[in-house]
Amino acid sequence: AAMSGRSRAEVQATLQTAKLDPAELLPAVHCLSFGPQAGAGECCLLQLEPGLCAELEAGRSLVIRGEKDEQAVLCSKDKTYEMKIADTSNMLLFIPGCKTPEELNTDPTPCNVIHSQIAGFSNNYWELRRCRPKLKKLRKLLMEDPYEGPDRHKDQTTTFSRYTTEDLLSLIQASEDEILHQLQVIDACKIEEYWRILQFDYEMKLLNHVTQLIDSESWSLSKVPLRTCLEELGSLEPREMIEHILLSYGRKYVDDGGEVYFEMHEDKICRAIAQMLLQNAVKFNLSEFQEVWQQSVPEGMTTRLDQLKGLALVDRSSRPETIFLLKVEDLPEDTQERFNSLFGIREKWTEVDITPYIQDLCAEKQTVGALLTKYARCSMLNGVKVYNSRRPIS
Amino acid sequence: LCDPLLSCSGGAGALARWVLVELQGEVEPRQGRELAGSLLGDLHYTCEGVPVLIVGHHILYGKVVQLEKPFAVLVKQGGAPQPSPGGPHGHYTVTALIKTKLLFKTRPKPIITHVPKKV
Repeated sequence: AAMSGRSRAEVQATLQTAKLDPAELLPAVHCLSFGPQAGAGECCLLQLEPGLCAELEAGRSLVIRGEKDEQAVLCSKDKTYEMKIADTSNMLLFIPGCKTPEELNTDPTPCNVIHSQIAGFSNNYWELRRCRPKLKKLRKLLMEDPYEGPDRHKDQTTTFSRYTTEDLLSLIQASEDEILHQLQVIDACKIEEYWRILQFDYEMKLLNHVTQLIDSESWSLSKVPLRTCLEELGSLEPREMIEHILLSYGRKYVDDGGEVYFEMHEDKICRAIAQMLLQNAVKFNLSEFQEVWQQSVPEGMTTRLDQLKGLALVDRSSRPETIFLLKVEDLPEDTQERFNSLFGIREKWTEVDITPYIQDLCAEKQTVGALLTKYARCSMLNGVKVYNSRRPIS
Repeated sequence: LCDPLLSCSGGAGALARWVLVELQGEVEPRQGRELAGSLLGDLHYTCEGVPVLIVGHHILYGKVVQLEKPFAVLVKQGGAPQPSPGGPHGHYTVTALIKTKLLFKTRPKPIITHVPKKV
């Protein structure tokens, strides 16, 4: 093998045979040969989207995530990308230590023979496309063992289906920032290093403690003191849980005196109470529901149907009108499957009704309108624009 | 539980800079020879910076292209099966970045004489 490389004399001889004039060439030459592992297929190419190159150069990591049955995704610290093989009809050789003309022109030792070994070659590379993080699995994992409160014996047993941050990072096809953000969105909390979701009944129990206290103390809903809540409720529930429920259903702030208060989210509280009512039956008479609902929420709060977007659906075509629970997080994550599911539930949707159930499918800079154009067919029904499936429903 | 499949080599400035050479057709070793260690050819640049590659009995003229989307070179740790359609599986390390390619698209010009000048 010619690992010792060609000599200057051999290079000049080749130039002469090729009838190339050395005077028209830069003095340096790269003699390219295949390195020892070139044919082994151990190297592959990943085409980088804007920003990723800078991240790598800054020393930050990229991670490929996916179990064998999942389509692999690539994650930076805050974004997720789908990976796809792109074929090229050409051959791509990757060469370490190969200089460009600019680099050679600034080289202090100009006239030399550079022996460059080709590290590998390929006729394809991985392409990236920014995608929505696949976060449905996160809720599914945390729902395997929801936290039911400290009294339940269950909580002292195995930690088999409990997940730390590291566990979640290795199982969820999303970037770390996207995962941490979603944990906040779903009101997860860390109990002894494990991320937990509260069981709904326990969550309502905690919320009820707080709203009853607000009522009995006649506090303003926008100024609920943390200190007093902990004092009054600390004997009933763990302090961390009292603070957690306040954080979940309120906005924390500190006044000039350094005291911590919460401004309660009226909409979120009303919504939770609606869920509590609706989950007990398949559907409800709308007007009866609205009456019971308003009576069930804390003094000073006003219920409105638009608080229930993505949680419940009103059927205005039935007599009497009805309402039933339909949670967007229970629907498929894949766009086509989501639309199939929605059209299976209702044949024709208005844009107002369907938007809460497809909003999360929008890619960066994509609108709900664009999604509807692509996945639905538009028609008119009694003077109103409605959307139905593009395909026959089986 | 699944380990992350790609880890990046650490530290800013630790990544090497490689170059891509893009050729038409396929790379085949001369009959009977192994690929490893065998010569591909000589790469020259004209004074104007045009890359010229002499491969066997062919001269290829190309151009230097700054890649809009750079490549990362991933090296598999511990030999493993090829990437499946579902995605690469196995551990990879980012070894180098490629921001420049030498694109040889022109049809090779054959070198007329087959007799190399003896030195």
